[in-house]
Amino acid sequence: MARRAESKTSHSTVVNTGQAGVRYRQEALESFYDGFKAAGIDFAVFLPDSMLDGIEQLIIERGGIDTYQCSREDEGVAMAMGAFLVGKRPVALMEGSGIGLSALILARGIVQKTPTMLIVGHNSTLGERYDYHGATRLVAEPVLRALNIPYHVLFDPSEIRTVIVEAQETIEGQRIPVGVLVPSHVIRKFGDDQ
Amino acid sequence: MNRIEVLRYIASLRNGDPMIISPGLANYTIAEERDEPLTIYNMDIPYATPMALGMALGWPERRIISVEGDGSLLAGPGVLTTVARYQPQNLAIFVFDNGAYLTTGSGKAPTTTAFGTDIEQLGRAAGMKNTKTVHTFDSAKTAVKRAFTEPGPWLIVAKVDKQDRPSQRTRYPLPMYVYEAGIKFHRAASQEKTAKR
Repeated sequence: MARRAESKTSHSTVVNTGQAGVRYRQEALESFYDGFKAAGIDFAVFLPDSMLDGIEQLIIERGGIDTYQCSREDEGVAMAMGAFLVGKRPVALMEGSGIGLSALILARGIVQKTPTMLIVGHNSTLGERYDYHGATRLVAEPVLRALNIPYHVLFDPSEIRTVIVEAQETIEGQRIPVGVLVPSHVIRKFGDDQ
Repeated sequence: MNRIEVLRYIASLRNGDPMIISPGLANYTIAEERDEPLTIYNMDIPYATPMALGMALGWPERRIISVEGDGSLLAGPGVLTTVARYQPQNLAIFVFDNGAYLTTGSGKAPTTTAFGTDIEQLGRAAGMKNTKTVHTFDSAKTAVKRAFTEPGPWLIVAKVDKQDRPSQRTRYPLPMYVYEAGIKFHRAASQEKTAKR
């Protein structure tokens, strides 16, 4: 019944070089996509951010996962939870500030047994060189801890696929949201601009 | 126009359609008139429409209903831009605009619609095309029926009075706890999808 105005839009973004000249680790981007597919993820929602843009554009280019943009991260988390309720396996991608905005809807998801996977960039791990990420990096992990949401901070790209698959198993088995936090060095070539 | 008469009409047309209801008196009327398995009651503000949007995108074969108040929609109007962006034809948003945070405290605190904010025009400005503000029960019935039978997304704003506030004292008990809502909804949706395969 539904017509999706933008969901099938073709994007031709070069995935390993963002507009700001960021160089992504292509193998890391591929591992995220492979992990999503292996975990059965079929619904993705994101608010664009500089850290995760490479993943988001790769998902759109490769297809096989219905992908949408939201206007705020908490809205996106609610969209993902709605998709879960109707049988989808969703993921919400955002920078750490989005977790700060999403505390209430994440709490609702826990109480209501309506989970989603969370992929989070710009968080409290090392490698954030700019002052304007100060509040962003401060908020994500405390909110996840306060809500007892399990999360894993990636360290090596070789673990990405396994962590995503296991995160989804936890989501489905325990009916709770799970966070995967993405430090800069995991997804970008070392020393690049943020 | 009274909110309860419009809600009863919505309930009569619903026929099992998935529905999410923001906090307030609408929950009790819907539950009393016709409780359905695919219902999420008392969704935290402002997430009824965002969650309904995710449902609509994830289940295009089904019509998805979001029931909002003016206060709840105005807490997160940005979602209207996302609705307009993806234009899910199976989404209907009903907003009951009484110009006040009626279910809170004294019920006397006004929303900004009491000062001129026009929710339908917010939807139009966001890019939604199927919008309607209704002031009478007859016009509400016409608009609601179109939202149930014609492609959307729909934004129907019903300007209602405050006369249903006393019903808070005799509220009908809701048929399920929030704690079980996600399990029941997910199971019902999964069973329906499996049955149709």
